Amino acid sequence: MGGEGIDTRLLTELTDQSQDLNSDAVRITREALGEFTEQQREVRASRGRGPGAMAAGLLGVGALLFGAGRANAASASPDSNDIMALQTAASIENLAVSVYTTAAGLSFIKSGNATVAAFITKTTAQHTAHAQAFNAAITQAGGKTQTGADPKYAAVVKAALPSIKAASDVVSLAITLEDVAAQTYTKYVSEVSATSLRTLFGSVAPVEAQHRSVLLAVQALLAGGDADLIAIPTNAAKLPSAAGSVGFPNSFYSTTSASPTSEGAVS
Amino acid sequence: MRAPKWQLPISESSLTKMTRDLDEAHREAVPVMRARAAEFSEELADTGIAQRPLGRRGFLVGGMGVGAALALAACSSSSSGSASSGSSAAAGTSGSASASSASKYTGDLKVVALATALENQAVGAYQAALTAATAGKLGTVPPAVATFVQTAMSQHQDHAKAWNAVLSGAGVPTITGVPLSNQAATLQALGAVTTVGGVANLALELENQAAQTYLFAAGNVSSAGGISTAASIAPVEAMHAAILQFVLGEYPVPDDFLGTSKAASASLLTV
Repeated sequence: MGGEGIDTRLLTELTDQSQDLNSDAVRITREALGEFTEQQREVRASRGRGPGAMAAGLLGVGALLFGAGRANAASASPDSNDIMALQTAASIENLAVSVYTTAAGLSFIKSGNATVAAFITKTTAQHTAHAQAFNAAITQAGGKTQTGADPKYAAVVKAALPSIKAASDVVSLAITLEDVAAQTYTKYVSEVSATSLRTLFGSVAPVEAQHRSVLLAVQALLAGGDADLIAIPTNAAKLPSAAGSVGFPNSFYSTTSASPTSEGAVS
Repeated sequence: MRAPKWQLPISESSLTKMTRDLDEAHREAVPVMRARAAEFSEELADTGIAQRPLGRRGFLVGGMGVGAALALAACSSSSSGSASSGSSAAAGTSGSASASSASKYTGDLKVVALATALENQAVGAYQAALTAATAGKLGTVPPAVATFVQTAMSQHQDHAKAWNAVLSGAGVPTITGVPLSNQAATLQALGAVTTVGGVANLALELENQAAQTYLFAAGNVSSAGGISTAASIAPVEAMHAAILQFVLGEYPVPDDFLGTSKAASASLLTV
């Protein structure tokens, strides 16, 4: 898409329209965080009533609070793992925000495809919202918020920076980060003990997957010399056949590259 | 479908490589999901959810189950239909499970049955779109849209197989049709569409519904296998939605968080 191809008014309008839908999602996330707070309060209260009450809290009340798959494991300090998962998630989001912010300032991004630049701006805001949601949950759980970047992938980014010379390089790096985020949160849905956190991670993972999907399509269009089709609206009739499938390569979202909950935990 | 007049702007070798990568990734993922489905079935058997007679327990285990059932019922689809049976798939097949007032699907299995029916509904919708396109009823179909439909349909078939493996493993009938009360309305809407954009919009509704249903399920089913399976499918449905929105000329990732307001209700299930 040449920068001249984008209708920024349409993008603004579409963004405005999305606010109504997004407000519903934000409300759900806030409710999940509120529910999580309540769960933490009840669990802590049950612990304060001695071993018997604690057992009741984790195994009895736990039947209400936790999924059965994690109910037994809940007796092994579910709070700490939940908080570590949230901290690692926040660290991944912080890194993503940093990378996209840096990318937005690169000359070939600023003077390049306007839709790519708009995507970077919007995606940065979304990752910021995710980081805030994860840190809010950490605070409500009584943990330390995570303001740093995931150490493993910060090193990956640092190693990649010297070789970033074009938009395609940025896209490639972003695909890596979005995939790690999506895989990690998809896995955490099954790993966290609190039901509300399952919903929180489950509500963010698909959004990261969508970022990856778009980036995969953009990558294919750039590789095929079709940068002019990276536009909103695009010319669907001219899109290459592969653009219809390259954005979702798997029937099931893998979790093999998911980060362990300890990776970005605050010590 | 009409032969595309447009010429492929990337090399055949690049396209072949991308397709090969796609197939390899697909082959890697499917066995994992089959294993998860088997584990899920074992879990259900271990917990006694499988083949549990209706009425002994609520929707899920204990109080949480009842709450989840009520919540899922409250989380109704915006496209409910009026079909009495709703068990006909778009492709004309009927569900292998017969409708009954005493459902065979209880607890987590009700969610699994709903998921299977939604996947079959999506497969049927995409198949109907391909049939309409082949008959020239949708005008010129862009090559990317044709590829999208075929690939997304294949992935929905994989999802349905995974869920049906759970049902089969739990000793209840698999679902090969679309036993949903909104199926007649869905078919009617599909039949009325005359453009690619119209099909894409309907598909977008189904994809969003599926993704949000899985998000709701991940937060409300009780078995670990069910949670992980739902969690691994929701992102894929969301990816389908993103590409559809791009093709439709809309911003592909409009929301910061996935919601559940469009999630399907278990009350749609007619078996």
